[in-house]
Amino acid sequence: MPNKPLGPKGPGWIAAAALLLAVGAGGTLWLADDVGKTDASSRDSTRNTLTRDSASTTKSGGSLQPRHPGMMSSRDAAADARAEAEVANNPQAQRALWSQRVERTEEILENYRNNTKYPFESRPARENADQMYPNRPVQEEGKLTNPGQKPAEGIRIRTSQERVYVAGDETVLFTVSAVDVDGNALPLTVTRAIAHDPPLNGKPSKRNSIAMPFNDEGANGDQVAGDTVASARLSPATQGFAGHAGMIRVELFLKVNEQTGFTFFDIFYTPDPPAVWSGGIREAVEAGSLNFYLKVQVRDAGRYVVTGRIDDAKGQPFALISFNNELSTGPKEIKLNLFGKLLVDEKPIFPLTLRDVDGFLLKEDTTPDRALMPRLLGKVLISRVYPLSVFSEAEWDSEERTRYLGEYGRDVESARAHLEHVRRSMKP
Amino acid sequence: MKFKASTWRKAALAAAAAGLGIAALAHATNYSLWINGRTGGGQLGNHADFSYWGPASTAAGINKKSVNWDGYNSVSSQNYLVRDALDCYCTGNNWCYVAAHSAGNLQIGYALSMYGGSTRTKKNASPNSGGVCGDAGTGTQTGWNIKFVDIAGGAAGGSELANAGSWALSEPLVGDLKTATSRAMYNHNTTRGTMFYMHAGAKGTLYSGILPGQDDEVIAYHSSGGVSGSSGGSYCNASDWFCNDLTLGTAAAEGGRTKWTNHSVKFRDNGESYNHYANGNWGGIVSRIVADMVANAQ
Repeated sequence: MPNKPLGPKGPGWIAAAALLLAVGAGGTLWLADDVGKTDASSRDSTRNTLTRDSASTTKSGGSLQPRHPGMMSSRDAAADARAEAEVANNPQAQRALWSQRVERTEEILENYRNNTKYPFESRPARENADQMYPNRPVQEEGKLTNPGQKPAEGIRIRTSQERVYVAGDETVLFTVSAVDVDGNALPLTVTRAIAHDPPLNGKPSKRNSIAMPFNDEGANGDQVAGDTVASARLSPATQGFAGHAGMIRVELFLKVNEQTGFTFFDIFYTPDPPAVWSGGIREAVEAGSLNFYLKVQVRDAGRYVVTGRIDDAKGQPFALISFNNELSTGPKEIKLNLFGKLLVDEKPIFPLTLRDVDGFLLKEDTTPDRALMPRLLGKVLISRVYPLSVFSEAEWDSEERTRYLGEYGRDVESARAHLEHVRRSMKP
Repeated sequence: MKFKASTWRKAALAAAAAGLGIAALAHATNYSLWINGRTGGGQLGNHADFSYWGPASTAAGINKKSVNWDGYNSVSSQNYLVRDALDCYCTGNNWCYVAAHSAGNLQIGYALSMYGGSTRTKKNASPNSGGVCGDAGTGTQTGWNIKFVDIAGGAAGGSELANAGSWALSEPLVGDLKTATSRAMYNHNTTRGTMFYMHAGAKGTLYSGILPGQDDEVIAYHSSGGVSGSSGGSYCNASDWFCNDLTLGTAAAEGGRTKWTNHSVKFRDNGESYNHYANGNWGGIVSRIVADMVANAQ
């Protein structure tokens, strides 16, 4: 379906080049390219030891190398310079350049102003449609294929995994089925399925793989026998992955009619939580906002990212609220702020429900990058009923916002001033 | 009237002196940061090494810097290189434009979502050999100073080539590029209010059987166009009647799925002219963000 011929569309690159050349003039007027000014020779040549062998970089990246020779001709620097010079002498091109710069800077300023009426930790649900139901399975569909081979014609594989990040005693249900192009079920056989910690970056697996009994017989997590959907449930804590903090890969070898294929799921497992909920959640109206405080016992200090969802009284998603900050060890409270102006603007029907709270310790510069706290599934707290008058209609105010609005505003003023100057210069 | 550079500069300076707002440019230094994708190639920490992209002499935005990471290991394990560069050039009075290709989309998205509200020490924009700058001695600030982000062939939504095992499964980054993993890695809607301008290529042919909808041979429109969701989807140019459109701008894609917040499709490859590959010459869909950076990153 994609990539069908659409007729001669070659001018795409020409247009891009024209834009590049047109705007290049403006740029060079203000600041010459700084390439070469940085003292590359003084760089520590041993820096490469921080990464893998550069030769392997090239090899492993082979599949990303271009396959279409001649897809883009080299730009002639001399021609560029000539074209830039021509544009620099072209008032119409200058006007076009500064007009679009005005447009861009205005768009950025306006978007930022509107987007930051509320703090980043307290956002409308509509901005976070894909974050509001974190415990729904991830459903995907693709063609039946084997690695490195062409996909089978007319056979699509549908998969689902209950979650990507898994903690403690949680289990994960995986499903797989096959359909034709019209969505009709096809007979699928899972010829082999295993779960293992896969060899990565030259490091071998540390554990033996386990068999994953995918079936369509209503057993081991399969919800409906005979529905052509094969399922299996993995319990990392009880199936050989206790103590394993990291990726677990579930690999499936498939057969549909006489065609074979392969698919896999990845999950990231945390055996021991870095912090646990210690019970007791309170709410308070403070400084014109509604805050929720969740008690935790922090075992491992560090940056924690905690996210909760707010529904209104009708069960409609209303807001995504989050916490992203450092916590030291010991008993703590995590504050989730529901910003006053968001309540005033959106006028949700109270009481509100705080639900589906998840959190993790963010680990810097490592993989996996997080250790999960236990998930709080479903309703966590139903708020009291408040009149909207207790909440503030003031926009979010912070040094960060002031800094951004100031800089973006100056960019708009500057672009407008340049454009005006060009226009005046063009008058006879 | 001819516009010679010197004439223009004098006129602009005069305008600044007249209080037209240009004077504000003088107090800050702007930088253009380029974040590579899979395979890498540039020396880590060497912000002048544009090996991944193409000739270093190519104009690609004001004061351009190459934020090299290895393009092989996981996003999280390499993200310090991105944060180091953001600290270097995008704190204090200095501001940045950011351009990223492919998995570089994950890098900048991850940095902003996870660390965009953290306290950063203001740096002096003079990196050492490891790409780490010294303290400016002017204190700290929340997050970084970023004007906008240009993305070419963005892989923040993953690639079905990773799902299908078309790449080496032992490569850590390939695990990150699995669509379910990429999309669950961080909240893509959290950009700290910074606009992400998405540039999506459609000159894909070789993997069109695996990649849904339109693609640039590595990344399908669902990712390069910033379409939200926990999994991918099939999105095409408007001329395709049998596939939902990837809309321009910030509007939801046809079919109703929203784009990630602050993500705007700036370029959709209606002519199917741009593939994924920089080709060592700022090529493919990268050429589109080169043009945009030269136009707007000044």
